[in-house]
Amino acid sequence: MKTVLELRRVTRYFAGLVAVDDVSFTLAEGEILGLIGPNGAGKTTLINLISGTLAPSEGAVLFDGHDITALPAYRRARLGIGRTFQIMRPFPGLSVLDNVAIGALFGHGGGQAQLARAREQARASLEFVGLGRFCEQRAEELGGPGRKRLELAKALAMQPRLLLCDEVMAGLNHVEIEAVIDVIRRVRERGVSVLVIEHVIKAIRSLSDRLLVLHHGVKIADGAPQAVLDDPAVVQAYLGRKRA
Amino acid sequence: MELLIQVAVNGILVGGLYAVMALGLALVWGVLNIVNLAHGSFIMLGAYCSWYLFQYLHVDPFLGLPITAAVMFVLGYALQRGLLNLIVRAPMFNTLLLTFGLDVVLTYLAQLAFSADYRTINPAYAGHQWHWGTAVFPMVRTGAFAIALALTLGMWLFLLHTRLGRAIRATAQNLVAARLHGVELRHLYALTFAIGIALAGAAGGLYGSVSQINPYIGASLTLKSFAIAIIGGLDNPLGVLVGGLFLGVVEALTTLYIGPTFVDVASFGILTLVLIVRPTGLLGRTA
Amino acid sequence: MKAWQGAVAAIVLLLLAGVPWYGSAVLVQFGINALLLAVLAQGWNIIGGFTGYASFGNSVFYGLGSYGVAIAMVQWHLPFAAGLAFGAALAVVFALLLGVPVLRLRGHYFAIATLALAGVMAAIVSNIPLAGQNIGLVLPPLNDDRLFYGLALGLLVISTLVVYWLTRSRFGFGLIAIRENEDGAAVMGVNTTLYKVLAFTLSGVLSALAGGIHAYWITFLDPESAFDISLNIKMIIMAVFGGAGTVLGPIIGALSLSAISELLSSQVTSVATLFFGLVVIAAVVLMPHGLMDLAQRVRTRSLRWNYLGENVRANRL
Repeated sequence: MKTVLELRRVTRYFAGLVAVDDVSFTLAEGEILGLIGPNGAGKTTLINLISGTLAPSEGAVLFDGHDITALPAYRRARLGIGRTFQIMRPFPGLSVLDNVAIGALFGHGGGQAQLARAREQARASLEFVGLGRFCEQRAEELGGPGRKRLELAKALAMQPRLLLCDEVMAGLNHVEIEAVIDVIRRVRERGVSVLVIEHVIKAIRSLSDRLLVLHHGVKIADGAPQAVLDDPAVVQAYLGRKRA
Repeated sequence: MELLIQVAVNGILVGGLYAVMALGLALVWGVLNIVNLAHGSFIMLGAYCSWYLFQYLHVDPFLGLPITAAVMFVLGYALQRGLLNLIVRAPMFNTLLLTFGLDVVLTYLAQLAFSADYRTINPAYAGHQWHWGTAVFPMVRTGAFAIALALTLGMWLFLLHTRLGRAIRATAQNLVAARLHGVELRHLYALTFAIGIALAGAAGGLYGSVSQINPYIGASLTLKSFAIAIIGGLDNPLGVLVGGLFLGVVEALTTLYIGPTFVDVASFGILTLVLIVRPTGLLGRTA
Repeated sequence: MKAWQGAVAAIVLLLLAGVPWYGSAVLVQFGINALLLAVLAQGWNIIGGFTGYASFGNSVFYGLGSYGVAIAMVQWHLPFAAGLAFGAALAVVFALLLGVPVLRLRGHYFAIATLALAGVMAAIVSNIPLAGQNIGLVLPPLNDDRLFYGLALGLLVISTLVVYWLTRSRFGFGLIAIRENEDGAAVMGVNTTLYKVLAFTLSGVLSALAGGIHAYWITFLDPESAFDISLNIKMIIMAVFGGAGTVLGPIIGALSLSAISELLSSQVTSVATLFFGLVVIAAVVLMPHGLMDLAQRVRTRSLRWNYLGENVRANRL
């Protein structure tokens, strides 16, 4: 299986605090990798390091075998790395359709040159996540669950090869969670590799091919979901007595 | 060499004055997050106030400083409470634009009231000097410097060591907590702004004693104040003092070695450079 | 472009184009000033309205354009067109050299930096002999107001077409994305640094061309008038009053404010400045979204009687 993403001993400091500590792992093409851990474990920082929003203090990030550690965020987007933001920040002045169109205009491979084509692609992306009806609405009028899907649609419109999802299920009810799981599975069927950060254990257990656990910036487990969830170290650090 | 010493002395004396000019701006900016592009106009108004007291009521410029400061305090409070308050929660750009507009209005009103003629404040002792070694210390300038120093240290004490000062700083950092404690926010904001304007006014009064006044000095003084505040960092009045002295000396040296017409190039150029290279200032932490 | 906007634009264009024929000499002169201000407002609109980087120093480009024409014509005896090209080239060089470091700053730091740059440039130019230092330069006179009016109108049409193009192009969408969420834009693939510099340069070139036309028309310039800081406030408030980030907003803002200012001030020019100051204050407090937003609400029948009050309530402490 081809490796699409590899992190080698990636570390990130913030003024004396270690947010990500010597983390290494690989993600195979077409795999869904789940990333869990308590709040403040460094999960979002890790995503930032992969998407290029932050640069690592040490270590390397490789995409398709190429070292992209020095590449700025926009170049990584062009290579095919797309992400959602945990704190949803749609482009407020624009319609839902145009929000997503930006992903189509600038994504993988540089995106579309024509606005019209980009809008078509955006429409398709919105249909894919189930927001087709809301195309003309202003982005800030969408409710919480809608915004989560909008984030997904934006990232998908970029036609990514690697999709980084940062807590796209937070605050959703069971039905909505099932819908998001379905979307991510269909995304994988298209050949996209996915890294999913989640707190909803039940969801991520059924969704992921593999599970990664981060605690205080350190990777403490990496393997098949059930094995990881049974791991006593993981139970102690994160799950406690309760199991979702 | 003697010339260099004298120039350095001049620079330091002016620098102290510059520090007071920037103090009010740094306070309002660092604490209230209000970037006041009209700051220089308030300095100008303070200068005119002192001039008026001197010219028509024969009040000594130094003794009249508290009066000038009080007048400007009231003006500042009213302006903040009545006008600036209305856009406190708007994007920063709105504040910039509003104060820009205010600057235009104040300059115009000053020109209407006082005409565009240059004015000076000339107390009887204006020509007197002290000597120390080879250096000459003009009395008025040295007095201005001393008062500037006192004001700066006073602000430092006030902000860092008194209850009200700490309340002001704490409020700015945590609006929600302040509200929960029942602090009357609007009053506190207006108070802080008023102190900033009073300082600007006092600086103006001192400025008027050492330099010429006309309605248009505001713009240049605003930029200079920004330079000092940014160089020194917005957190600490002592940083502003360092920034002021630094700019004063740089300007004096520029005048000596390059030419007086290049002074603005030097000061605005330094501001630009500091912004590009180190926006948090030479001494400051955050802004 | 929505149909009604197209219709309005066409009517306005016809009216404006006809002024040199049906208008008095005074009206033509007023027109030249107003049209050039509208160009400045549109230029600012690109970097301030669309990209969200509120430049308080576009007067630098205006000044560079003015001096470009003046130096080319007076010192080197080149024709006007060459002077314009030279002025535009100066603007491009300036935008590229200083844009890159300055555009790394955000928010009010960027604003102050551009203000400082304006101050520095004015001070530097007043020391350059080639530019006539403090005394300035006198250009060869050309007494053809109709020509200048045409040039100004033509430049405005070009500027507006550029801004219109922004609303329909990948580049323009990239700028809007930067304005709304710069980090989000980068992560979606927008080369934010390149785009910002391009927007700044485009804005600068338009301002420089306006400055060049103005300089030749007035036949005189000195550092103070060429790098006039109050121009900054005028162009910003015109764009904001009309509607920053819209296509027609800056034009409407410029024309309406110029007209009102002219009516109020009659002889005393400083009253015009006071007027602008008051308009700025009123607009920022009562209508921060500009006239176009008001017009939009009227058209969609969503204007409420307490529109102004709502604007204030949303922003006050």
